[in-house]
Amino acid sequence: MAVDPVAFLPPVREIQAEARREIQAEPGAAGADFGPWLARSLGQVNQDLVRADQAVQGLAAGETENLHQVMIALEEARLSLQLAAQVRNRLLEAYQEVLRMQV
Amino acid sequence: MNYLQSFAISASGMTVEKTRVDVTAVNLANASSTRSADGSTFRPLRVVSAASTPQFAGLLEGALRGAEVRSLKELETAPRLAYEPGHPDADERGFVSYPGINPVSEMMNLLTAVRIYEANVAALGSAKAMAQRTLELGG
Repeated sequence: MAVDPVAFLPPVREIQAEARREIQAEPGAAGADFGPWLARSLGQVNQDLVRADQAVQGLAAGETENLHQVMIALEEARLSLQLAAQVRNRLLEAYQEVLRMQV
Repeated sequence: MNYLQSFAISASGMTVEKTRVDVTAVNLANASSTRSADGSTFRPLRVVSAASTPQFAGLLEGALRGAEVRSLKELETAPRLAYEPGHPDADERGFVSYPGINPVSEMMNLLTAVRIYEANVAALGSAKAMAQRTLELGG
């Protein structure tokens, strides 16, 4: 029994072309780039850290009315930093997974 | 997950209880105050707290609200009269009027406020633990 290669090829090419089109279409469709989002998120984390820093400075200078607000600012900063670290871990894992991929 | 909201709610509770402790400290500090500059006797204060009034956006979203100090109220207690004829603030019959502060109820207020403050700290700690557990997802 003979397999006819000529009849087998065209559908494969069509699927590849379609897949490429989908991949190219995605960033435009989502309307948001990853770079600015990352920069914005890091900016928010930094803002939290700066706020915690200011709260501690205020506490040291005796300007703080409530101790718990300082502690809550510290905890918020810690949590957002941990969230950023986890996001970074996931990104790195995904990147390494791509690197390990055999072509 | 908006853990900042639960932080804010617990923080409002802590602020109220801290005010309550402060006010109790004021009452105890003035336990033997005789007369202030305007001639009146000190009256024990009480904190009136209530669920905080919603902001307009919160009203629309049905957001959860914390607590807030609504006012400080003076108790209408009669002054405690003590017979001390030589006292500079004694009246013509030799009686000095001290504030009608009940030390037992003040201590009860103090302890209750501290316990509720601790409960708020526990609630905040639980919210934080939840957020940190969420960060462990998949990791």
